[in-house]
Amino acid sequence: MIRTLIVDDERHAREELSALLQELGNIEIIGNCSNAMEAVKAINHDKPELLFLDIKMPVLDGFDLLGMIDEENMPYVVFVTAFDDYALKAFDEKTLDYLLKPIDPERLAQTMKKVNRALASNEPQSYQPLQLNRIPCTSAHHIKLIDPKAVEYVHSDISGVHVYTPEGSFYSELTLKVLEARAGLLRCHKQYLINPAQVDEIIPLENGMAEIKTVAGTILPVSRRCLHGVKVAFGLK
Amino acid sequence: MIEFLNLLQQMSIFLIIAYLFSKSPAFKALTGEILLIQHQVLLYFIFTGFAIIGIYIGLPAYDAIANSSPIGIVLAGLVGGPALGLGVGITAGSYALYLGDWSALGGIDLLSSVIQGGLGGFVSYYYQQHNKSEQLFNPLVAMLVTLAGVTIHMILVLLLAHQDVAEIAVPPHLIIPTLLANPFGAGLFMLMMRDQKTMIDRVGAIFSARALKIAERSLGIFAHGFNPDTARQLAEIIYDETGVGAVGISDRQTILAFVGIGDDHHLSGINVASPQTKLAIEENRVIYADGFKERFKCALSDNCPLGSALIVPLRVDNEVVGAIKLYEPKDRLFMNLNRTLGEGIAQLLSEQLLRYRYENQKNLLVKSELKLIQAQVNPHFLFNALNTIVAVVRKDADQARSLLLHLSNYFRKNLKRSGDLATLEEELDHVNSYLVIQRARFGDKLRVEQDVDPQLLNARLPTFTLQPIVENAVKHGISNMLGAGTVKILAYKDDQKMIVSVADDAGAYCEKLNSDGLGMNIVDKRIKSYFGSEYGTEIDCIPGSLTKVQLTFPYEKEELS
Repeated sequence: MIRTLIVDDERHAREELSALLQELGNIEIIGNCSNAMEAVKAINHDKPELLFLDIKMPVLDGFDLLGMIDEENMPYVVFVTAFDDYALKAFDEKTLDYLLKPIDPERLAQTMKKVNRALASNEPQSYQPLQLNRIPCTSAHHIKLIDPKAVEYVHSDISGVHVYTPEGSFYSELTLKVLEARAGLLRCHKQYLINPAQVDEIIPLENGMAEIKTVAGTILPVSRRCLHGVKVAFGLK
Repeated sequence: MIEFLNLLQQMSIFLIIAYLFSKSPAFKALTGEILLIQHQVLLYFIFTGFAIIGIYIGLPAYDAIANSSPIGIVLAGLVGGPALGLGVGITAGSYALYLGDWSALGGIDLLSSVIQGGLGGFVSYYYQQHNKSEQLFNPLVAMLVTLAGVTIHMILVLLLAHQDVAEIAVPPHLIIPTLLANPFGAGLFMLMMRDQKTMIDRVGAIFSARALKIAERSLGIFAHGFNPDTARQLAEIIYDETGVGAVGISDRQTILAFVGIGDDHHLSGINVASPQTKLAIEENRVIYADGFKERFKCALSDNCPLGSALIVPLRVDNEVVGAIKLYEPKDRLFMNLNRTLGEGIAQLLSEQLLRYRYENQKNLLVKSELKLIQAQVNPHFLFNALNTIVAVVRKDADQARSLLLHLSNYFRKNLKRSGDLATLEEELDHVNSYLVIQRARFGDKLRVEQDVDPQLLNARLPTFTLQPIVENAVKHGISNMLGAGTVKILAYKDDQKMIVSVADDAGAYCEKLNSDGLGMNIVDKRIKSYFGSEYGTEIDCIPGSLTKVQLTFPYEKEELS
């Protein structure tokens, strides 16, 4: 059974695809999401093997979602779109397949054969990640999009990932790993990312650790393991 | 009797001068409705000249009383008003005083000259005030006023001068001839001026009437383009109205139309052959072959009866698009009137062509923009709608059938010709089909509120004005919201206007609205072109909470019925 997630902002579209997949068999639908924020949460949490991804969705589209997924968790992606002007772009993303709405069951069956082959080969899925030029965060019913330049630092704790900006802190579904790789933030601690442009001082401590003082005056820890990387980033080694 | 004949003889010299004046360019000063300052000055010199000549050609033996100077002075007052009359009177009188060696009699001459000028001026002023200025050119009036002027002079001499001097100045046997001759001369002079003025007016009137008639008949013909058909219609009109021998219209290469003498070999559709026409087109200038100094050279036939021609290029934006040609046969003169008229017609037609081109481009632009918008809307909506229907078929065949009917209604209306007006009801029906499908797609996420004054359902608006606005509200507004959103459609009366507003609570496309990728401009343009600039679209956008587009149309009560 292939653990599958369907992401589409339209209920009928999700239901139809779900029905078609059930008819084919060997599929376990582990969830339905109607936007990218729900989807990234479900992917990080449930780690599906296969993702049917609608391209046009509110606020964050299918491509934005790809950029938000941790490579470790990257499922096999099949794009679904109503009109194929997005299809070319989908190929650029090295997506193995895309489907056009309304979905032709035969075409879906062919796609599933490819999916089965790819999953059997056990190669990790890789879609060249896009740089994030906005960090999506959840705030009440909105998606707050934060410019990485405006970030002071990011902190992860048991409750999740928090992005700190002069405006306040925002909860994000994205992992530190994704933010480190795609938002230009620097790892200074297992639980912290710092925006290099916001660093004011690096204060060495006795036991091989250090502290960073930001322009705004916040003191952040620098772990032993990360100190080397921080120094390299600032051209100190 | 001899003296009377003498006086008449001198009068005729004077009348010859008057005749020459009426033929000279200086006379033009008198043909306008209003005398400008420079014309007043010109007339001052001319009439002063008349008056002084009048002094000289008077009977030398009998001094000023028997001379013809009152004619110039009185007429100056009549045609030029008090200022001119007094001016000429003072100057001529002073000159008489100077000639009379500053004698008492000269003084009387000055006084009476001033009185004569003032009298003419007063009569002129009186008629102007009573809107009877045409009376100023009445010979009888000129006669009576001159008679009064001469009589006053005579009375003054008899009253003020010494008896002996008076008798020399006013010999009894000259009283009657003097009293009669001067008014008679003034009357004749005025008759001559009036005839000349009438003739100029009449020629002007004929010219204006023809020009206006051609303008009126040709108006709008080029609105159908510049082609053999419209060229033929115009050539016939010009041929009719000017009465020239023949009229031809060509574009840069070929003769589009030819009417009149020589139409056996000047055929429409053949290439322009005459070197003069080619020159006019190439060098963008008017060519006039008067038939004497320069003859019209027909390159098509050696036996061409046409001898003279006026060739005027037709220009659009300074680019020559063709030429209009007026011809006269060898045995007829090319009238100056027609020459002026021909150039005027070409100017008029050039302007019509420019307008046609402008309108044409504007229409093309609006049409292509409209098509672009229709094309932009369709594919995404169509496939998503079909996808929804495919899903609905599984669960609810009736709903699926209803959705398909709405979809076909939507597309049928979309494909309808775009240039017409529709009723608000028809537009709302179109919008409704669209919204039914979108609500099936988005479910609870899309809420629609509609409040339309039922009296407005018959009001007319251009097709495709409401539809794109509602589509924008869904496509760029609600569908970009994570949560649910509402589209509000209102239609209500506001005085003489009908307001239709479409609002969504997404506020998601303020920037796009301003940069206009959404066809808001074209909706505005179309409303304005149908109803005028006081109508159109008005946009209100608060990012994140509201986008409101308000359409204003005229509303007439008759539409109620």
